[in-house]
Order: sequence, then structure tokens, then C-alpha cells
Amino acid sequence: MSDLRQAAIVGVYMTEQGGLQDRTTGSLYAEAVKGALEDAGLKAHDIDGIIGAGPEGAGIVGDFTDAFGSPLRFHAQTGVGASSSSAGMGIAAMAIAHGYTDVVIVPTASGGAVHPNAPRRGGGPGGNPFEYIWGTTRASDYALAARRHMHDYGTTSEHLAEVAVAARKHATLNPASIMGERGEITIEDVVNSPVIADPLHRYDCCLVNNGGGAIVMTSLERARDLRKTPVVMLGWGQGFTFYDPMSAPTLTSFGGVMAADTAFGQAGVRREDIQVAGISDHFSIDVIIELEDAGFCAKGEGGPFVEGGALQIGGRLPTNTDGGYLSGSHGAACGLYTVTELVRQLRGEAADHQVPNVELAYAHGTGGAFQGQYSAIFARG
Amino acid sequence: MTQYNKPLPEITLLNEPFWEGTKAHELRLQLCDDCPEYRFTPKDVCSTCSSVNATWTPVSGDGTVYSYSVVHRGPGPAFQEDAPYIVVMVDLAEGPRILSHMTGCEPEDMKIGMPVTVVFEDVTPEITLYKFRPA
Repeated sequence: MSDLRQAAIVGVYMTEQGGLQDRTTGSLYAEAVKGALEDAGLKAHDIDGIIGAGPEGAGIVGDFTDAFGSPLRFHAQTGVGASSSSAGMGIAAMAIAHGYTDVVIVPTASGGAVHPNAPRRGGGPGGNPFEYIWGTTRASDYALAARRHMHDYGTTSEHLAEVAVAARKHATLNPASIMGERGEITIEDVVNSPVIADPLHRYDCCLVNNGGGAIVMTSLERARDLRKTPVVMLGWGQGFTFYDPMSAPTLTSFGGVMAADTAFGQAGVRREDIQVAGISDHFSIDVIIELEDAGFCAKGEGGPFVEGGALQIGGRLPTNTDGGYLSGSHGAACGLYTVTELVRQLRGEAADHQVPNVELAYAHGTGGAFQGQYSAIFARG
Repeated sequence: MTQYNKPLPEITLLNEPFWEGTKAHELRLQLCDDCPEYRFTPKDVCSTCSSVNATWTPVSGDGTVYSYSVVHRGPGPAFQEDAPYIVVMVDLAEGPRILSHMTGCEPEDMKIGMPVTVVFEDVTPEITLYKFRPA
């Protein structure tokens, strides 16, 4: 039995998601941790390991201990941007399997002021001056990839729109989503929405909001005695192929190839056996590229793959069934929400957005503008 | 000259020779001393041969468009005033890829693969930026 399968996800929780300017990061964090523990049937003092930061975001995670009174004997952090927490779950599983920790909390939270128009890499230390001087945005970063993908493979704005339409459809089925109450959108709605960074339209771009969530992991052995059906990772992998976009060999394929090949190789399952997927949709093009890189279709065939509602529940590969980052929530390290939804799908707890009889689920997280990638395959323990 | 109100590049020990080049209206890149590879953005090591030695060398400034985006929503008011503007990724004839702005080209005339050449804009007495125009 592989290391990963000796650990299980036993608790998940998401706070309310939205503007939440009146809530502090710390209050969302505390609620998320307590919620995930309650879901699992564990207590704060059971926790002895953590992935990511404590509630104050201190560089040393003792602030978690200050808050919850739980000394920690394990901490790890990965560099996969918004998917850093969820990517770290693979490391948590290995640490649990090898006895370095018994109960790991994987939290994320973001509250207070949100400034969607704040200059990114605004010239401060650490920003790349060869990017920020040109007024680039996250949207323009992804737009460069989308434009090149269209040129090389004939991908269309309508293909991109399929991703956004599916996400919104799922959001309407998920009362916890931010955009669900606005109702469904059509391909025409997406391609007619204002251009943000050509070829990306407003509906091709994710939400900017606050929120929190947490996941609790422990050994599969201990999980058998807890409240909920345990969910295990069958495979996990990461991939990093560049940091400076001018150093990327191509803007149409990234570390997702390595991440998915590692995860699928370890899991010993086939792509076509996956019944539900959660794939980072910071921007619609992300999903198309990651479907290709993960091997669900050949490179360049992501556009045709998503046609005809293929990503919607009932379609070929239901994807982002909670509404994703486009229409569900994109607060804090939102990779955690992707995993939360897949856990609920495997438990059969997804209510109106449930995919029937899910046995195998696939998560793919992108950080930055394609720089960091991770993949994971989940099943019931 | 009107006041330039957008972020200026942070000059570092590593990138200073590049900005000295643009001020002289010349695009200069690091050429590896131990293999035929140019580097951009400035790097301390060659990604081909791991050499830490390089010589700043003038390049042609010619290239082709690898990708581009017409940005309608800029990061903050200074860029927003100029929107829509064209962010372009150029494959230089010498190899490296370079991010910049297109000038002298309407958005509808942009094409991947089109030949372009560098132009210089003295935006402050100290800083000269590089942009690209159709060749």
C-alpha cells in the first residue's frame, strides 16, 4: 500500500464566501478550523500538524498554537500559489504515513479589504520589473496563453466560454456559491461580456472575494472511527517548469503534465475512469490547458473536448461542480475549495450538484500564471 | 516631456547594464561566455550550460510576435488612461523571449508571427523604455 493511502481526509468546511469586508482573516480562519474539526468529530487539541500558515500568517506557525493551544510537531508549505494548501495535502499524507504527525489541519482564510484593481507586483521588492512596467495583470498573463493556444490549435472564444457556462450552471445548483443566484449564462453572454484582456472576457475571469476553509487529515486507521466516510489520495504530483514567463518554453503547456503523470502513475487508474474533476479556473483557458496537460485529451484538443456542455454535470467530465473560481468562490488559497467539493462528491454530500455514484475524483491546482501545478486523485478509503 | 506616471523599473545590480543599454538606444542582453545562449530577463546563471559568466552584448532588436493581448482593464489609473494597450511577447532573433508593448499598430492588425523591431522611449531623464513596432 502506498504511503498516501494510509492517510485520509476526515473533515472539510467552508465559511461563507463573498465580499466579507466586515470579517477579519482571523475570524474566518478560526471558524474554518472549528468547522472542519466538527465535521471530522475531532478537537483542536488533536491537531499536531499543519499545512500552510497560522491565523496571523506569521512566518513561523506558532500563531496557530497561540490561537488553538495545540503544539505542532509538523509543518510544511508548498509553492503552488492559490493551490499551495491543497498541494500540501500530499506532503501531509506522507508525513502521517511515516508517523511524523497524527492529525493535520489544512486551513486558509482571507478577510477585510479586497482591492481587485490593486497593481500586482506593484514595483515593490520581489516584483519583476520587466513585467510590471508594462501594466500586465493576471488576466493579461493568462490572455497571452489563450491567444497563443488559439493560434496554434484553433481554440475559440466559444470554447473558453463553455468553461464559464458550466461553472455558472453548477453555481446555480450550489447555494453556497457566490454567483449562483444570478442564474445561468450562455456562451453568447460570455463572448459578449466586456473584454478585460483580449481574448479574455469578464466571464472568462474568476471572482475576487474573501472567504475561508479548512480540511482535516489523519491516518486511515484512525479515520475508520470518525464520523464521516474517509477520503484517500490514490495519487499526487507536482510540476514546476518556469517562474519568469519570458523563460517559459511555451505558453500552451506547463508543469501539469508532470503533476498529472506522477499522480496517475501512482494511482494506477486511467483518465477515463475519473467521474468528476476540480480544475483551477482562475481563467477559462486554465481549464482547457490543464485538461490537455493532464491527458484527458491530446494537446490542442481541449477546445473540442469541452464543447456541448461536456464539463457540466451529465456531460463527459463534470468539472468544478461547486461553481469553481469563476462562479463559486475565489477567496484565499482557493485550491482548498476544489478539494472540499471533491470530498463532498465522494461522500455523496453534494446535494443538488451531486454527480451520481462518484468513485474517483481528480483535482488539479494551478498557482500563479501556470508556474506551479499539482494533481491529486481521490477515492473513498 | 509630460510627467511619466507609471511604475518605473527597479534598477538592480543584475539588470543595470540592460538599462544603460536602452538609455543609449541599444538593446543589450547577456550572452553566455561558455555557450551560444543569450539570457533574458537578466539572470545570474545560464539555463543551458549553468555558466555564471556572461557579457552584455548588443542584439538586433528584431523579432516576431509570439503572443499578445489587447488589455482593456489596466492595473490602476495610470495604465487605465492608456487602455486599450497591447502587451506583446516577442521572440527575438537571437533567441530570448521579451515582454513589452506594441506601438504604431492597431489592435486589429496584430498577428502572431508578425515581424517587429524595437523602438526606444525616453520616459524620464534616467529611464528609457523599449517597445516594439511592426518591422
